[in-house]
Amino acid sequence: MRGRPHLFTSYEGEQSLLPTWTQRVMLALFLVLLVTIPLQFVPGVQFLGSDSWLLVLNRVMIYAIGALGINILTGLAGQVSLGHAFFMGIGAYTAVVLGAPASDRFWGMGLPIWIWLPAAGIVAAIVGIIVAPTAVRVRGLYLAIVTLGLVFIGEHLFRNLTFITGGAGLGRDWPELAFRFWKEEEPLIDFSSRGPWFGIEFSGAAKTYFFMLVLLILFTLWHKNLARTRIGRAFQSIRDRDIAAEVMGVADAKNKLRAFAISSFFAGVAGALLGALVGRLVPETWNLLLSVQFVAIILIGGAGTTAGTLLGSFFVVAIPRMVEDLTRMLSVQVRTDGPFAWLGDFIIADQGDFGLVSTVANGPGLSIFQTNLALYGFLIIIFLIFEPLGLFGVWIRIRNYWKGWPFSY
Amino acid sequence: MSTDMLERSDAGEAGTGYPTVAARVREWAGKAPGQVCMREKDFGIWHEITWGQCWETILDAAHGLLALGVEPGDRVSIHSEDRPEWIVLDMATVAIRGITVGLYPTNPAPEVEYLLSDSGSVVHFAEDQEQVDKVLELPEGSLAHIRRILYVEDRGVRRYDNDRLLFWDDFLALGREHRERDPGAVERLMAEAEADDVMTLVYTSGTTGPPKGAMLTNANAEFSMRKIIETEGRLPDGAPPNPSDQILTYLPLCHVAERIFSTWTMVATGCVLNFAESIETVQTNLREVQPTLFFAVPRIWEKLHAGVIIKSRDATWMKRRLSSWGLKLAERIGDEVVANGGSHTTKSRILYALGYFFLFRPLRERVGLRYCRWAGSGAAPIAPEVLKFFMGLGVPVFELYGMTENAAVATLNFAGRMKLGTVGEPYPDIGFRIDEETGEIQTKHEGVFKGYWQKPEATAETFTEDGWLRTGDVGEWVDGTHVKIVDRIKHIIITSGGKNISPSEIENKLKTSPYIKEAVVIGDGRKYLTALIGIELDTVGDWALRKNLPYTTYRDLSEKPEVIELIQKIVDGVNEQFARVENIRKFRMIPKELDHEDGELTATQKVKRSALEDMFGELIESMY
Repeated sequence: MRGRPHLFTSYEGEQSLLPTWTQRVMLALFLVLLVTIPLQFVPGVQFLGSDSWLLVLNRVMIYAIGALGINILTGLAGQVSLGHAFFMGIGAYTAVVLGAPASDRFWGMGLPIWIWLPAAGIVAAIVGIIVAPTAVRVRGLYLAIVTLGLVFIGEHLFRNLTFITGGAGLGRDWPELAFRFWKEEEPLIDFSSRGPWFGIEFSGAAKTYFFMLVLLILFTLWHKNLARTRIGRAFQSIRDRDIAAEVMGVADAKNKLRAFAISSFFAGVAGALLGALVGRLVPETWNLLLSVQFVAIILIGGAGTTAGTLLGSFFVVAIPRMVEDLTRMLSVQVRTDGPFAWLGDFIIADQGDFGLVSTVANGPGLSIFQTNLALYGFLIIIFLIFEPLGLFGVWIRIRNYWKGWPFSY
Repeated sequence: MSTDMLERSDAGEAGTGYPTVAARVREWAGKAPGQVCMREKDFGIWHEITWGQCWETILDAAHGLLALGVEPGDRVSIHSEDRPEWIVLDMATVAIRGITVGLYPTNPAPEVEYLLSDSGSVVHFAEDQEQVDKVLELPEGSLAHIRRILYVEDRGVRRYDNDRLLFWDDFLALGREHRERDPGAVERLMAEAEADDVMTLVYTSGTTGPPKGAMLTNANAEFSMRKIIETEGRLPDGAPPNPSDQILTYLPLCHVAERIFSTWTMVATGCVLNFAESIETVQTNLREVQPTLFFAVPRIWEKLHAGVIIKSRDATWMKRRLSSWGLKLAERIGDEVVANGGSHTTKSRILYALGYFFLFRPLRERVGLRYCRWAGSGAAPIAPEVLKFFMGLGVPVFELYGMTENAAVATLNFAGRMKLGTVGEPYPDIGFRIDEETGEIQTKHEGVFKGYWQKPEATAETFTEDGWLRTGDVGEWVDGTHVKIVDRIKHIIITSGGKNISPSEIENKLKTSPYIKEAVVIGDGRKYLTALIGIELDTVGDWALRKNLPYTTYRDLSEKPEVIELIQKIVDGVNEQFARVENIRKFRMIPKELDHEDGELTATQKVKRSALEDMFGELIESMY
């Protein structure tokens, strides 16, 4: 009923994703904002529309799709997995075999995107189903070890199956992001090179951005919807207490297997997209570090929540860029003796003097890459100790403050 | 399916009969079959019942009663929390010219036995195992006049082996069978309905003697609906109650007040009834439903008031600051509005707009009165401060007065003409007078009841020689138009100094404090006044927690010196507002929470003074 957000006359109403008009309007405005980012006319976020930032955003969205996948497995179903990179790799190589043209050294079929992208997810899911029966027998840390094993098996395979992966340190070219009906020369829609759309000139990055945005919205809806279905609720009951769930009639092994399969599907698609975005990837890409990054995303964002996962992806992927910008700004400050020069002096290690971060090769401090690694670790620790619900938890706290107004409970 | 059945059932042969409440439901079902008339919360979802469905169920139930052999004039008793079945059975009984008897869910077994045997009910509706047990645990052979006991919650009752038990769904099935055999039976009885038919027995709360069943007729109900619900100028915005109005049904339906403000308002105006899950969840349900019309007894108003005060004190620094500023503002608005007869003035509107967005709107939303356009308080005296508080928040609360015996038609504060501390003006064109000698309020109109069920002497005592109803309340005129209730005649205290004192006024002032739940002023024939005071466990517990005061039980908490000190301060504050003879010299804490089950309260939560004076005689004597 209008004006009575707490009165539900049907289960559909109670389960609704956007129960109030305020929420619907806010979401619509946010989507409009996202769509207009490449057009660079909303003040305050114009810088995001530059090509270099669009590249970062595209990567954020791919990571978000992958993170939504691990969130289903770890956040919803409670199965800690370090094997996400492996499934992404499976997806990526499925895509490359199906999508890239064949040559005398590599396998390839040159099929269009509407085949290789879904196939990347499906093959990854099938591998997930094959692996799952082993994985569902163990819990907690042991499961983490089992999935860790997957990553190493994967790395070994990827390095040696050169006719698929291009071989260690070399890699091969991924199919480009373009829509073709079949194998025609000119793609119907090209998502990766500069050109006009509806009379507006867009850069390749901007086109990729729109493509990724649509995919991300679809996967987000899927994820959000999954959480409120029977299957999603089964996952959550297993997470909260698997024995209790089984007693209540939730089939433990079956649902864990489902979680693995769905999660791997997301991972496979994300892997394929990552390959297509970057263009050429070495087999070492799908290593433990990538898996850890995904765990970091859901821990920092907020395990089990959709919005938190998206937020975490932005945070984790965009941080290196921000650190880079920051160090550059600080070193400029030091050089020109600006108002933040003292901070720069403290943090930046220049020739000889003490500092944490070094801008010169082989300097005394950490490199920017190392700083990023240290920062992830530091943030994971901080979040686990102080805000186990992640960035989403911060949001919940803010929301509750206003929800309780004018009381505190 | 429902519409063609309606057409069939609408084909009454012998006219339509008197417009009983059941006939009014039929009218709504014909006019707006798809419109929602009731909502009941079940597993978190408010299930909706439309007029069409409601009337169909009523017909089934009425046929069911016929199948059980209920005849015109027979009593059907209902012992249940508020729920759609209550109303369905009530309407079904009225439709076949039977008499509904409501029992309070809190009635203990001995009282249930008394009420059932006094009314001689033939079909008894006991909601669940708890209420079924109250009847079944009585000795074999008692209440033999009850043919069937209907129950609707079958948990725990399913295993019972008793011929008299009948599950609600089976009862309706029985009704459907009967309906197929004899489709027009109920309609025929409805057409025979007369104005003088007794439709319900409403048992008085019985603070002094055993409860008496007041007989209300169809004409009484009709008069009550016309006067109270449909009277002009009741609602501040002028729009009469209509189908878009929401009502929260939570007070016992066997009480005349809830009957008027729920059932009868629904049938008269098409408002939607939303059934609260229980009395404990009223605050949550209020917030969900956000009723537009809301009637509450003083106890509920006091609780809402205390809730706001305590919660705003518990808030974080910023919020605390804001609400203390806002509540001060509300006080000024309250003064302004009250001085203007309950309507806004330009000044109060500006002040209200100042605090609306930051405090009043969210606060009203939290309390559940955001859309409330009329609220009433009645059934017991309320402290004016509480009314003013809600007026200041923008909730128009009006005190009104009536009693079972005159179908609650006596006085009402009209919007724009209210006077704080009075119960308002008599309804237009009713017989209303205040006896010059005794000060007793007397009424004479079509709403006055037919008499007490099988108690002719008691009935005779209630009427004066010239046929006016004695209300037993002492009143006085204020400015010649409004009426102020002094107290029950029986409660007036005459001290040994010969002073007449009304204890209710002092008690209500005490109860304004969020920490005091019960206050009983004593002093009849004594040198000075004393009081027994019972604390509100929630709020005093909260207070103690804040003071780092450990406690175990209610009694332990009551008797803490710090708590007594707290109460003493409140008593001192109240004493300042009264003349010296009316001051409370001493008080004692009641060592237990008063309870209906233990015979200290009536079913309507009124204190049984005599019982209390017996029970705590020593405590009282220790003060003199």
